[in-house]
Amino acid sequence: MSEPDRTSLPIRRPPFQGVSNRTLDGSKPDWNLIGHPHAPEDAPNVLLVLIDDAGFGNPSTFGGPINTPRYTQMAEAGLRYNRFHVTALCSPTRAALLTGRNNHAVGFGSIGELSSGFPGYTAVVPRDCTPVPRILAENGYSTAAFGKWHLTPDGQQGQAGPFDRWPNGWGFDYFYGFLGGDSGQWDPCLAENQKIIGTPEGFYDKENPYYLPDAMADKTIEWLHGVRAQDARKPFFVYFSTGCSHAPHHVASEWADKYKGKFDQGWDRLREEVFARQKELGVIPSDAELTARDEALPAWDDLPDRLKAYYARQMEVYAGYSENADHNVGRVIDAIAELGELDNTVIVWIWGDNGASLEGAVTGSFNELTMQNGIPLTDEMQLQLVERYGGIEAWGSQIMDPHYSAAWAWAGNTPFKWGKQVGSHLGGTRNPMVVHWPARITDAGALRSHFTHVIDIGPTILDIAGIPAPSHVDGVEQEPLHGLTFADSLADAGAPERHTQQYFETMGNRAMYKDGWWLAMKTPRIPWVLTPDALRPYAPGVWDPDAGPAELYYLPDDFTQANDLAADHPDKVAELKELFWQDAEKYKVLPLLATLSAFFGIVPPLEEVSTVEYRGDVQNVMSGMIPRIYNHSYTISADLVVPAEGVEGVIVAEADHLGGFSLFVEDGKLTHTYSMMGVFVYRQQAEDPLPAGEVNVRMEFAADAPKPATGGDVTLLVDGKTVANGRIDHTVPIRFSAYAGMDIGRDNGGVVDLSYEAKKPFAFTGTVKKVAFDVKPHLSTQDEDALHAVARHGHAGHGLSA
Amino acid sequence: MAFDDETIDVLIGGYMSKDAADDDYEAVLGSGGYLHGAVVVSKDLEGKLAVEESDHMVREGAEGLGAVGFVVGLFAPPLLAATAVGAVIGAATGKALHHKTESKLEEQVGATIPVGGAGLIVAYPHSAAGKIEPAVTRAIQKAVGEAEGHHVQALKAAVADAQQKLTEGGS
Repeated sequence: MSEPDRTSLPIRRPPFQGVSNRTLDGSKPDWNLIGHPHAPEDAPNVLLVLIDDAGFGNPSTFGGPINTPRYTQMAEAGLRYNRFHVTALCSPTRAALLTGRNNHAVGFGSIGELSSGFPGYTAVVPRDCTPVPRILAENGYSTAAFGKWHLTPDGQQGQAGPFDRWPNGWGFDYFYGFLGGDSGQWDPCLAENQKIIGTPEGFYDKENPYYLPDAMADKTIEWLHGVRAQDARKPFFVYFSTGCSHAPHHVASEWADKYKGKFDQGWDRLREEVFARQKELGVIPSDAELTARDEALPAWDDLPDRLKAYYARQMEVYAGYSENADHNVGRVIDAIAELGELDNTVIVWIWGDNGASLEGAVTGSFNELTMQNGIPLTDEMQLQLVERYGGIEAWGSQIMDPHYSAAWAWAGNTPFKWGKQVGSHLGGTRNPMVVHWPARITDAGALRSHFTHVIDIGPTILDIAGIPAPSHVDGVEQEPLHGLTFADSLADAGAPERHTQQYFETMGNRAMYKDGWWLAMKTPRIPWVLTPDALRPYAPGVWDPDAGPAELYYLPDDFTQANDLAADHPDKVAELKELFWQDAEKYKVLPLLATLSAFFGIVPPLEEVSTVEYRGDVQNVMSGMIPRIYNHSYTISADLVVPAEGVEGVIVAEADHLGGFSLFVEDGKLTHTYSMMGVFVYRQQAEDPLPAGEVNVRMEFAADAPKPATGGDVTLLVDGKTVANGRIDHTVPIRFSAYAGMDIGRDNGGVVDLSYEAKKPFAFTGTVKKVAFDVKPHLSTQDEDALHAVARHGHAGHGLSA
Repeated sequence: MAFDDETIDVLIGGYMSKDAADDDYEAVLGSGGYLHGAVVVSKDLEGKLAVEESDHMVREGAEGLGAVGFVVGLFAPPLLAATAVGAVIGAATGKALHHKTESKLEEQVGATIPVGGAGLIVAYPHSAAGKIEPAVTRAIQKAVGEAEGHHVQALKAAVADAQQKLTEGGS
């Protein structure tokens, strides 16, 4: 068969070459008609691994304290790349990785939760930028994605789709993972292909509890076996995108305990140790300088002694969690080896998508969502909340959703400054990459220092596979790929460095790279601070980006960005500033800070719907899609059928004990529990059991005022009669959970009220005919508009931490 | 030393965990300062109330802290509005001290201690303040009230004073 035209996808069916007579007499079939497109000959398998929220100085493979034997094994049999770059934020890096184009240009100037009305910030990939997995699938690859996705808009993660924004729509034949920005590893709310499948049954197994990283590897191996059972030669493309090492930092204690005492020296000395090892390993130049700690982060020695164990445990768990990811990637690699296909599988393993995350603020948190909800807990408060939920030894278990201190993240980004969200500096933009391909790499264990960027991965994979970037897909003319192949560097250490110019932009933090020069333009805002005072300098008409600080580095001589040359090279500063604006225009980066537009009054149209009804057994409504109950009055009404023998169980529940609500029946009595992020828990309960038969129950929350975190009064009613009153002093202003869903008739996953933990999911023993939310019972238009703006602030705040 | 020998101080501390309240309770007991009594009240994650008290009140032969009633101020993260605190100070009527104390505490604390939270109430002569108060290091919010007079009335007044200060934000 002749080589098909791969520049226009889908590949056209070849013309019929046989003969079709009136009867079979003399007719000749053309068996090519019933085939399918084949990949080019010798196209290798591809395993693309992306670790989440990790830094250059985390894995031992690059001198870090976290033991990563499988990563090292791949590096020693392959290549380390020590000048590989990402975008400093989750979704943008993933969009760039999977499209081969700059993230703003494909609508991902920010994260999947934050669709905005500017072209670079829609969170919707345009049809003229077809993703690489779709290109591979159309060219004869089997494709699958496992784990974190984070490329589907927040409000489109239900049965109504649209599904072209889900992984299958991006070209993956199979998907098993979670659509959002993070997930509990013990209690995820999962999607499989085009369906939310919720929390796995294994979550309820006390003897052998479900653990997402293990399940990801299991599912990947199962999928590989299935593909090979059908087709022995069809190449595969597996995107293995771990939830690790993003918060919540969930891992079994045996993994965390491997690091007992390993971080008692604190983050300052840890950085020095890592820096020394990096030099010994040769992954950084011998003349590299260790950058200094920013004053936003405390010195370890200045911490009160009583808190050091709390802080050290945070990093022990993070390290164990990360090592477990290495282990599970290793299991997938073993499975490929067992198939006898390791030699001809290109493994691209990127350790981190945006540097390690500073989003735990200085204190770290027992619950990552406390930060996003603007609850400023001191380190002593955090410690006490940790004690409430089992103590520091329980950090890492399902009872908490922990995030470590920003100072540990900074140490994880050794030797660079800053980290996630800071697109201006290498702490947020430079991550380790290892490429393993025995069939082609001849100098195993070598180092490559080519300037490479996440947009280069797609073009490199296509180049290796012998597949051209299509000019048209589904009849739509395609935007050329922005990335450049570095495939020749795999076999040739002296291959030319093609990627000589690159802009960076995340949350207004900008950089312009050109021929070794790096202009860093960081806004003075501390990445984890979103207070009005912190944002005021960036308001429209106030902020002049060119008037902000600019640092200039020459990276060939200054690997770590330790020596600012801006004062000595004003012309270079001006040249790179201008170049940034050119690229910003070209790649849809403008307007700057579109991500934060909600904070400055630019919000989408208000939703018209104020009542939402759920009939039947609706489950796993994603947390970003629940009714808008935050910050104002609302009611929940449920029509029930109560059996004569009585009833118990959950009528409706959102999320879990670390933030959520549950309307349920306990001992026959109507009960309402509201968890304000696990910091405050409020409960109201009726005195008498529900009557039998058709019953309407109602929870009314009368807010004190329509304002963020408003308190208010709760009234429970049965058939219109008040049966209980209570008070909620503080409500959740922004979002209950990053990942836990809402369920009718049960409380899937972690439960809201721990009093029924032993009975989870505590399914309702009667019938829930309908649950209705009324989210606009008492608001004026003015209040509604104000709260809408607050909700968008929250959306942005959540997005910044996703 | 009897209750009515001098001014009585009552320290109320609010905590987000029982562990923290226990730490301060132990520190108070180990401070060397003279105590009239100390009580830790807490609610576990399932909402069950626990009351633990020192045996000082029994030793004193007095009616003790719990019997006079109290409200533990709910500590509020500073970004959020101050939490309303409201309950009635109960009358003390003696009799079986421990039972009475606990039932009174349970009645009042049930509505005021948050799930997962805890409170510490310590009563001591004013002369012991220099030893007692520095021992309380982990309270998220705390307040010290004081009063003079007959022991029960003084105790009640000191508790009321501490509560008032706590509702005003404590320290």
